[in-house]
Amino acid sequence: MADSGSPDSEPTTRTLLRRVLDTADPSTPRRPRSARAGAQRALLETPSSRRLSSQTKTTARRRSQRIRSIGKLAHVQASGYLEEQTPRTLLKNILLTAPESSIVMPKSVVKPGPAPQVVQPSSRESSRGSLELQLPELEPPTTLAPGLLAPGRRKQRLRLSVFQEGMDKGLPLSQEPRGNADASSLTSSLNLTFATPLQPQSVQRPGLARRPPTRRAVDVGAFLQDLRDTSLALAPPGESLTAPVATLPKDTVLEDTQPFSQPLVGRSPSVHHSLPCPSHSGAEDAERAVSHRTRSTGPRLQNNSPGKPAQLLAGKAEVDALAMDFPNTSSSIFGEVGVEPLQDGVGGEAEERTEKSLSMSKVKEAARAQGSARAQEPEGHTQVTEAEGSQGAIETKEPEGSSGDCPTSSRRVSPELASSTPEFLQAKRIQGLEPAPPPNTAVLPSEPLEPLSARLPPRARTPGPKTCQNPYKTGLSHYAKLFGFYAKMPMEKKALEMVEKCLDKYFQHLCDDLEMFAAHAGRKTVRPEDLELLMRRQGLVTDQVSLHVLVERHLPLEYRQLLIPCAFSGNSVFPAQ
Amino acid sequence: MVLSTTVSQRKHIKRKAPRGFLKRVFKRQKPHLRLETSGDLLMHLNCLLFVHRLAEESRTNACENKCGIIKKEHVLAAAKVILKKSRASEPS
Repeated sequence: MADSGSPDSEPTTRTLLRRVLDTADPSTPRRPRSARAGAQRALLETPSSRRLSSQTKTTARRRSQRIRSIGKLAHVQASGYLEEQTPRTLLKNILLTAPESSIVMPKSVVKPGPAPQVVQPSSRESSRGSLELQLPELEPPTTLAPGLLAPGRRKQRLRLSVFQEGMDKGLPLSQEPRGNADASSLTSSLNLTFATPLQPQSVQRPGLARRPPTRRAVDVGAFLQDLRDTSLALAPPGESLTAPVATLPKDTVLEDTQPFSQPLVGRSPSVHHSLPCPSHSGAEDAERAVSHRTRSTGPRLQNNSPGKPAQLLAGKAEVDALAMDFPNTSSSIFGEVGVEPLQDGVGGEAEERTEKSLSMSKVKEAARAQGSARAQEPEGHTQVTEAEGSQGAIETKEPEGSSGDCPTSSRRVSPELASSTPEFLQAKRIQGLEPAPPPNTAVLPSEPLEPLSARLPPRARTPGPKTCQNPYKTGLSHYAKLFGFYAKMPMEKKALEMVEKCLDKYFQHLCDDLEMFAAHAGRKTVRPEDLELLMRRQGLVTDQVSLHVLVERHLPLEYRQLLIPCAFSGNSVFPAQ
Repeated sequence: MVLSTTVSQRKHIKRKAPRGFLKRVFKRQKPHLRLETSGDLLMHLNCLLFVHRLAEESRTNACENKCGIIKKEHVLAAAKVILKKSRASEPS
């Protein structure tokens, strides 16, 4: 969070500073502390409000962010405006011109409450800034400190003020982001200076930083999904859901998980949070609900009732199962689904976190589960109980990790998820369209197999098509290298493979043609004339360009001597003609 | 693991003909025929010209597509033309 907070603050600080500078002079002496807090809040609120739908969560997160960020912000602001605006002259100029714009600024700010506060802190900062501008850059933090006694006190006081303000302003702020769901809402609210700098940073930076972990988590989720799916498929026929569906879903689920697994697991929760769009989320939720019920073993139902952690686990399982189970089961279970989606939406954030934290444990579990699942597939429903047991264990572990991790990780992930959601939705649609009837056994093993298969095919190809394998292959590669030489351009390796294929074909044609010419001449020996005729037919040898010319052009001297008759001493012509 | 998918242009090539390879290929294709001496050299020449034409064609294809790198598609398109050109068995 610290990272996210700081980058966000940097651009905003500039804008804030500008505002502050503008507004600063009139209000400078009044509130130093509260003003700062307000400014920070304005910065903090924008990212938090976007991502979090519920006010309660937003406030809690804001607190944490503020705590972390405040310290940094103070430094960042101090250092930031000194360093970034190092053209200190700009600050001075701004300060000089400030009184003119000071009256206008508060009006311009969309939020009435925070704006005046911001102005007040800014005034102090600006005054400091004016003083500090002359000082070296390193000093700013120290200079700030004396004004606020101690840094620790500062933070605490700032927190209190921030909290209060946040509570007061939380309602209007939270409402704004809800409307747009994504970062765009921020822009609308903070039209003046904030919007443009904040959005790109907040969106891009978190995405870059977080994506790698999310993908890992996704893989794990895919494993879990496979396990659960298998269990679901096996279990439901016995329990409540339709038997025929159960058999098919296995295949579909496994297939779906492979392509989708990475994007889906990480992103699916985001859809619920960030995107209000009811249709897709509702469908997903329904899918999830279906998956739960299909599984509908004792532990999961219980999990749903107690609270968020249980929901999180269930949500994960649901997400995994969603794509697979949707088409099959959704029709039957839809009525029930309506209630659960809400819970899922809450739990989605937690799910992401848990996935990350528990990825390692899940992988191990998944491996075990896969083993069990494979055994189950051929045998049938009897072993379903084992799979469920393993799932239950996984679920129990997940909530623990989720509880600890939830506050920190959830925020950053959400914007990424929001961006990725459309793809996810499309993927689900595609899945729904494609029932994907691959063999049951292939599903679980398929995940490990796919990477292997991708690696293997080239290996298999190289020796495969040619009977002579190595020598033949090397010979073709020799000519392929010649291709690279003649092309005078860089080329793809695939293109080289293609060239080798072409050469293979070419040699076949060549030999066939030579055979035909020899047979036409009533010989069983291919003579150079046949080759000359061939080249003539190919258009290589023409009346202007004889075979000897080609030989001289393209073959080295030693071969030329063998091909072109030449008189030698002793009244002899070497290549006898 | 950053394996370059492109092969840079070769500066040096062997001019030596893989005569044994050519003979073997012919023998494998047409075990009942024999290749006269220096027939393999002409085969090599023919193959060189084929590769040359193929390279030229694929190069032009790549240039037409404004591609700095010869891609598989370019080679494929060129092969279609050049293989047909270098086929003597079915005239016109």
